[in-house]
Amino acid sequence: MARLVRICAVIYLATACASACAAQDLRVPDSAVAGEETSISTTGSGKATFYLAGPGVSRKNQVALGEQIRLTAQDLGDAGYYLAILCSETCRSASFYVRAGKPASLSFIVHPSRVPVAQNEAVNGVALPFDQYRNLVLAPVIVNFQLKAKDASLFSRAVPTQNGVAWFRTASGKSAGALLVVASLDELTTRRAVQQVASEACNLRITGQRTKTGILVQTEPVHDCSGNVLPDGTIVTFSATGPEGRDTVDAPIKQGIARAQMDSSGATTISVASGVVMGNEIRVGAQP
Amino acid sequence: MKPSTKFVPRFHFSLFLAGILLLVPALNSYAADAAVEVQLDVKKAAPRAIEELTERGILRDYRFAWTSMAQALQFNTFDPLEGPFSGEAKRWLRQTVTSQQQSGLSHRYRDQNHRVEAVFYSPEGDVVELHDTAQYHLQILDGEKNIHDENVVVHYVVLMTPGADRWTIRQLQAVPQF
Repeated sequence: MARLVRICAVIYLATACASACAAQDLRVPDSAVAGEETSISTTGSGKATFYLAGPGVSRKNQVALGEQIRLTAQDLGDAGYYLAILCSETCRSASFYVRAGKPASLSFIVHPSRVPVAQNEAVNGVALPFDQYRNLVLAPVIVNFQLKAKDASLFSRAVPTQNGVAWFRTASGKSAGALLVVASLDELTTRRAVQQVASEACNLRITGQRTKTGILVQTEPVHDCSGNVLPDGTIVTFSATGPEGRDTVDAPIKQGIARAQMDSSGATTISVASGVVMGNEIRVGAQP
Repeated sequence: MKPSTKFVPRFHFSLFLAGILLLVPALNSYAADAAVEVQLDVKKAAPRAIEELTERGILRDYRFAWTSMAQALQFNTFDPLEGPFSGEAKRWLRQTVTSQQQSGLSHRYRDQNHRVEAVFYSPEGDVVELHDTAQYHLQILDGEKNIHDENVVVHYVVLMTPGADRWTIRQLQAVPQF
């Protein structure tokens, strides 16, 4: 009886071994790059069905076991997790990763589009490198950020990407006008423009004179503390306090100066403000 | 004319049936959504900190995106991809569905568990990068035939951007490790 059991065990093992030896197997690439051809080697004999499942691909075709299976650039366009499955009587599978290729484009987001001059940490930008198949390049690369105004360099910094992202934050320049923000990576350059505008008014001063119809009040040319003329349309508020009570007029700056006509016949005190900035105060005598 | 007495029970039965039919997809959707566990850690988000309300929005929309993706790749339909995905992520997911429709394959994601960490949140709050260690049971079918069945752990690098009313996934890229 024991002998019979031993014989059966040997037959079973031999059958299992024969089956295993004839079974298909596959070997996937250790590393693959998006958009680059590669191949999967197979073992065994006969025909099998090959499947490739990954981002953007779901391929199924017949293959001859023992031969190489070619994976085209189109199969591997997207970086990510891929599964190769080979089925004849049973199915065998292996997984591999496809990583992004070399940077081919640089996404660059800059904020804000319009910024007052001389503001701390007012301009920021985020750059993300992508390969030619729009996969995020996660291998560290150096991105050079530059800020230029009227051909003068205001800021320059080389920033290595971390998890596929490089970013900067800096102060705005001193002069109103276009600010060119550049991100470059080897041969790749992406440009963005930020409009720098004058900041709050500085040393806001007014003069006034009595006319036949009231008081004509106007500012001296309105500048910020860096000497930039405040843009047209910036509102200046004149407030008059006299025997008739209090009167307020908003006037937009035109070519650096804001003017207003105020109705008051008695002695009047006029003050001025623009945004949070207060200007001087003047007294205009009563109408003779 | 005397109204038919058989009409009332039939009408009630029809209403009941319609109610069931309307409820089943909603329950299915809920079941699929409930099966996706997501834990989000925003402590390391920089340079901008993620506020609590934003965190809740990202968590809600990230979970919904995985539920939608699982549905799209199981039933080979594009509809679930409208909304939760945009940009490259939407492109390759649509391409996968098209390719699966041709090959007859489908994916089933079960018991999804995502441990997500926010690693970058831009100064203006217009892009967030997440690292997701996703654990799920993946089944691949050729028609009705199961050709692959395993529990997997996959690391994903995710870029999400805010839209008018939700966060959408723009980039969903699996990597061997972070």
